[in-house]
Amino acid sequence: MTGIVLDGLVQGLQLALLSVGVVFVYGLGGVLNLAHGQVAVSGGLVAALLLQSRWPPVLACAAGILFAGFVALLLDQTLLRQAYARRGEERLLLGIILTLGLSFALDGLFTWRYPNLALTLQLSSPYVRIGGIVVRTGSLAVAGLAVAAFLVLLAFLRGTFLGKAIRCIIQNEVGAWLCGVDVHRVRTLTVALSGLLAGVAAVAQGFFSYLGPEMGTEFTILSLIVAVVGGVRSLTGTFLASLILGLVNATLSYAVGTYVTWIVLLAVAASTLLIRPEGLLAYWP
Amino acid sequence: MSGRQLVVHAVPVLAAGGVLVMVPFLLGGSPYGLRIASLMLILATYAVAFNLLFGHTRQLFLCVGALAGLGAYASVILVRDAGFPPLLAAVLATLGAALLGGFLSYVGVRRGLGVLFVGIITVAVSLIFHNLLLGLREYTNGETGISTQGLGFGLGEAPTRAYYVLLGVLVSSLTIYQLLLRSRYGLAFRALGEDELNAELSGIDVTRYKVGTAALASGLIGLVGVLYADVNGFISPSVFALGHVDIPVLLALLLGGIGTTLGPVVGAGLFTLVDELVRPFGQLTVLTYGILLVVLFLVFREGVVPFAGRLLLRLGRVLLPGIPREARAGSGRSPQPAGASEGGVGRSESAGGG
Repeated sequence: MTGIVLDGLVQGLQLALLSVGVVFVYGLGGVLNLAHGQVAVSGGLVAALLLQSRWPPVLACAAGILFAGFVALLLDQTLLRQAYARRGEERLLLGIILTLGLSFALDGLFTWRYPNLALTLQLSSPYVRIGGIVVRTGSLAVAGLAVAAFLVLLAFLRGTFLGKAIRCIIQNEVGAWLCGVDVHRVRTLTVALSGLLAGVAAVAQGFFSYLGPEMGTEFTILSLIVAVVGGVRSLTGTFLASLILGLVNATLSYAVGTYVTWIVLLAVAASTLLIRPEGLLAYWP
Repeated sequence: MSGRQLVVHAVPVLAAGGVLVMVPFLLGGSPYGLRIASLMLILATYAVAFNLLFGHTRQLFLCVGALAGLGAYASVILVRDAGFPPLLAAVLATLGAALLGGFLSYVGVRRGLGVLFVGIITVAVSLIFHNLLLGLREYTNGETGISTQGLGFGLGEAPTRAYYVLLGVLVSSLTIYQLLLRSRYGLAFRALGEDELNAELSGIDVTRYKVGTAALASGLIGLVGVLYADVNGFISPSVFALGHVDIPVLLALLLGGIGTTLGPVVGAGLFTLVDELVRPFGQLTVLTYGILLVVLFLVFREGVVPFAGRLLLRLGRVLLPGIPREARAGSGRSPQPAGASEGGVGRSESAGGG
């Protein structure tokens, strides 16, 4: 049982990496990025391709993460820019339809071009004992990666001017403009950042089990559920929701099977929207 | 409504029906062609219903596949396991889909959910439905699906008859659509499309119109689902998946023109053509859908039907200089074929740019 709980927590950490991007992009621009999972997968696939051509694993993973950031940057400069030019409901609608289209395009591209490609990262010793509990080294690697990424992210948000600007825009876009924050530039930067984090999540998936070209949709849906439950403007909420949903996912999958787990997760997300549209765990610290 | 107006509004429906009646003769009895044509009619009818939901009442229901699947699975299971006669099962399944759609709409309206949240909730419903189909193996056979032969009206064995039954459903739904738009509903739709709060303030019962429309459209989708099960001879979770139904429906409506009578039909025809062209390339279809969705929504949101309408009007003005600028036949509020996207989503393009 401890193994399952541990697995759930690690899965939650990985989920948090993935979902932060969705939360940021929505919080900053009011665009719900439905192609987020596909951005992550693009990074993972590049890492897998580089590994195949015998790059050292660390370099291959780094290149994959950077590539995911680059794809997100491209997405921002091409499609999201169109959405940002509109206001209100029109922006929401344009945002979801365009990213939905992109998610299909990328899914089609990946499964058509690389049907058998998969990213798996095996560490030299599969298990280690820590305090009497047997832990997979893969899980440890994921946990380490996620925690490191989060520490960097927090330091960035708290310590730098750009981080403050991001938090400022999330709270009030017009106010930020008036204080001299270049909203467009910060937005572009945030989308790129969300892509980088998605890339880290994809690499983490490679440590955990494997990452295939068809997994983009699953990633998108999971991060969407987290964003909805955690409050789509709150970082702490996202973090908590990721851990809880990771635990629920791991324990329920073990106890009752995948189908029921999916139904429960989706139902939780749908009812959260009805009961508390701002998110079950939402508040900005 | 005067008799003359009635004739004017019946023209597009009759024209579409007339053209489509000829299709089996043009195909010369090729079973493959007939099957594709039948699937096109099904897509067109879904799109008519989706047009009511999205185009006129701004409810982004991304659960068309789930509603159709509910109709299909409910009717098949009622006949197979409960021994219901097919007609009764079809009626119950249609009512079930209407109830689910009405309920979703009611919840959305009551909670004041915008386009985005209705979209997310209905996607969640679609995925839940999909997982239920996979999970409830003892009823649905999971991924294997159910063969529906001998459980319905036997349309699967009579392709020509199936085609005409589906055509009948399409023409009836177009007629209902036209009548609806000429009734109080049409007025309410236009007020809703402009501003929901103002509509409510001027005495329009927004809940009633939105929920009523959603129930009607969902019932239609459910009925088409029932017929699909019978015509196709086989149902499985994947034929009702999001990428298999909802995206094509959205694309067909965008291609043809949101908020128009003939848009769904023309769009479904064009989409079927494109789909047939890329089908040999397997996974490329998904790629094509995605690119089409982005391109259409960005640069051609107007759709073919309003575009062609404008073109014809301009041509007409060149040939016959007497036509006034606002050439809207008779009633002054006919969206056909010129100023088509009244109250629809396309309208906000001019309002939102900037």
